[in-house]
Amino acid sequence: MGFWGRMLWTLVSGPSGRRGGAQGRAFSLWPPRPPLPRLLNATELVSHWTGVFEKRGIPEARESSEYIVAHVLGAKTFQSLQPVLWTQPLTPQQLLCIQELCSRRLQRMPVQYILGEWDFQGLNLKMAPPVFIPRPETEELVEWVLEEMAQRPHVIEGQDGPRILEVGCGSGAISLSLLTRLPESQVIAVDKEEAAINLTCENAKRLQLQDRIWIVPLDVTSEGSWTHLLPWSPMDLVVSNPPYIFHQDMEQLAPEIRSYEDPVALDGGEEGMDIITNILTLAPRLLKDCGSIFLEVDPRHPELVNNWLQSRPDLYLNLVAVHKDFCGKPRFLHVQRSEP
Amino acid sequence: MWCRLLWGAARGLWACRAPCQPHRFFGCSSPPLEELFVRGGPLRTFLERQAESEAHLQVRGPELMAVAKLLSQKEQELRETEHLLHDENEDLRKLAESEITLYQKEITQLKHQIILLLVTSEETDEKDLILEVTAGVGGQEAMLFTAEIFDMYQQYAAFKRWHFETLEYFTSEIGGLRHASASIGGSEAYKRMKFEGGVHRVQRVPKTEKQGRIHTSTMTVAILPQPTEINLVINPKDLRIDTKRASGAGGQHVNTTDSAVRIVHLPTGVVSECQQERSQLKNRETAMKKLRAKLYSMHLEEETSKRYNARMIQVGTKGRSEKIRTYNFPQNRITDHRINKSLHDLETFMQGDYLLDELIQSLKDYADYESLVEIISKKA
Repeated sequence: MGFWGRMLWTLVSGPSGRRGGAQGRAFSLWPPRPPLPRLLNATELVSHWTGVFEKRGIPEARESSEYIVAHVLGAKTFQSLQPVLWTQPLTPQQLLCIQELCSRRLQRMPVQYILGEWDFQGLNLKMAPPVFIPRPETEELVEWVLEEMAQRPHVIEGQDGPRILEVGCGSGAISLSLLTRLPESQVIAVDKEEAAINLTCENAKRLQLQDRIWIVPLDVTSEGSWTHLLPWSPMDLVVSNPPYIFHQDMEQLAPEIRSYEDPVALDGGEEGMDIITNILTLAPRLLKDCGSIFLEVDPRHPELVNNWLQSRPDLYLNLVAVHKDFCGKPRFLHVQRSEP
Repeated sequence: MWCRLLWGAARGLWACRAPCQPHRFFGCSSPPLEELFVRGGPLRTFLERQAESEAHLQVRGPELMAVAKLLSQKEQELRETEHLLHDENEDLRKLAESEITLYQKEITQLKHQIILLLVTSEETDEKDLILEVTAGVGGQEAMLFTAEIFDMYQQYAAFKRWHFETLEYFTSEIGGLRHASASIGGSEAYKRMKFEGGVHRVQRVPKTEKQGRIHTSTMTVAILPQPTEINLVINPKDLRIDTKRASGAGGQHVNTTDSAVRIVHLPTGVVSECQQERSQLKNRETAMKKLRAKLYSMHLEEETSKRYNARMIQVGTKGRSEKIRTYNFPQNRITDHRINKSLHDLETFMQGDYLLDELIQSLKDYADYESLVEIISKKA
C-alpha cells in the first residue's frame, strides 16, 4: 500500500510544489489519503480511518470513523450494524462516500453535521450547520420536565393539554420530544435565527408533529417582543436551553463548536446570563399563576440566577429546585411563578 | 419420621427411573403418571394426608382436594366396572370395555390436573428476561458458534411470537460473536427460556480448520429474569455512571459523540455497559435494564440456591457453569446432558422452532417432576 499510496497521492495532489503545506492538505476536497488499492470491509475501514484521524489529531477518532462507516451502511452505530456487514467488502460507491464524509471530519466538522442527522430522546432529527447540536444533558432536562408534568396533573385540567413555550428552539429537539411524550400538549417554539426556524419546521414535518407546534421567528432580547406571544398565553410552562457560555470562555471551545455552530446559540454574554434574564423577565407576563420555567444553565448559574431573582421581586419568581446532570454538575433550574 | 420415609420413597422412585431408562422416560412427552400415582406411593399418601389435615398449606388446597376426591371416585367406579369384564353376557362385557376406556381417559386427565395444581409456578415465570451469550473456549470457532446460537434464540423468539430486542452485539474479526445480549418478552418467555442457561458445547470441523480435524468449543448462555420496579429497588447513590463527558465543563461547552455508558453498582461491583444507540439517555436506560436484571438474578439465587441444590436442572449462576448440551455436527446430534435426551437433525434444531421447543418442553416436564417430588416430600 505504501508504494501505491505515494503513487496515487502524487497523481491526486499534483507536483509537490503545488501542495500548499498542511493547510492545503487539510482543506483539499480530495481525501488526504488515496483510495485504497482493494475493496475493504467495514471493520478494516474503521481501523484505517481511526488511524488517519488519530494521526491528524482529530478528537474521538474511533467513534468518528465508526459513526461514518455505520451511517454509509445504513446503521446508526457500528454496534448495531448487521453482523454480516462487518466483513463484507464495500462497494466503490460506499467507499467514495465514506472518503468524502471522512474528509469533512478532517476539517473538524462535527459528526452530527457530517451525517446530517442525530438522535435525541429516541427521535431522529435532521442536523444542519450552523444550528446548535443538542447535547446529551438536554435529554435530562426533558426528562425532568416530563416528571414534573406527570406529578402535577392539575396544571393541565380544564383545557386540551399543557401549553409550552420554548425559547431558542434550534433544531427543535426539546419541543419535538415534549410533543412526542405529551400527546395532548401544544408548543410555541421561538428562535431568532432563520436557519433554526427552518430546521425546527423540517424536523416537525419529519416527525409529523407540525399540527401541534407553532414556530415563531422572535428575538426575546428586543423590546416588547413578548407581546407577539400574547395570543398563545397563558402558558403552563416555559422551557429553554438558552446560550449560557460565559463570553470569555468562547475562545476556548473546540474547533468543532467554534467554527461550525452558531455563536448566537452559545454566547450568553459576560456572565452567561444575558438571555436567561431576558427569559425570566418575559416569562411572568405569559405564564399562568404557578406556571413553571425550566432552564439548562452553566454550573455557576444557580447562584447567579437566585441572586438576580431576589433583586427582582417584581417578577414574582422563585428558584424552587436545582437538578444535577449525569456528571453531577448543577445544570437544570426550576423557577416557579408565585401569585402576585 | 414420616417425612424422611416419604422422601426416601420419592428418591427411590426417582433413582430407579432416571439412571436406568432415561431414554424411554423422556421419550414420552408426559411425566410418568402411573409411577407417580401408584397405590400406596408417596403422592397418594401426600394427598390422603392433605385431605385429613384441617389446614391446607397450599393456596390451591381446596381445589386440589376436590380433584383428588373426584379421582378416587372415578378409580372406584373403574374397579367396579372392571368386574363386569368377566360377566357372562357378551353385550354387557362390550359395554364395560368402552366404559373403562372412558374412565381411563378421565383418570389420566385428573392426574394431570393434580400435577398442575401441585407444581406451583415461580415468582419469575411470567417475567421478561435478558439473554446473554458469551463465547467460551475455542477462539474464533467458539465465536462463530456463539453467533449461531444467538441467531437460534432470535428465531425461537419469533417462533414463540415473543418480542426480541438486541441490546448489545460485540463481533469478532471474521464475523463471529464475542458477547451479545437481548431483551426477550412475551407469554411464558422466562418460564421456557430459563432452561437454556449453561455451557453449550459444539463439536465439529471449524470453517477455520485446514486439516479437517474436529474441534470442541464452548459458549455460555445466561438467562436473567427482568424485575419490575417493585421486585427490585436500587438506591441511586449506589450507582456510578461513567460516560465520556464525566470530566470537563460539559453542556454547551462540549460536543462529544461518544454515547457509550457504563454503570457500576458500587455495593456489589456489578457492571453494565451499553453503546448501542446514539442517544446517551437511551444507552443509559438499556444499561440500567441490564444492571437491574443482573442484580435481580443475584438476589433470586440467594433465595433459591438451597431449594435447587438437589435438582438436576439448575437455573441461575450455578447452572451457568455446568455443561448442559452438546451440538455434535459429525453425528448430526444434539444431546441435553441434564435429561440425557438426544435429538437429531441439527440444522432444523438451529432454526429455533419446533425441535428446540420440544426439547425445552421435555426439560420443563422434567423440572416439574423434580419439583413435584420435592413438594411431596416436604409437605407430607
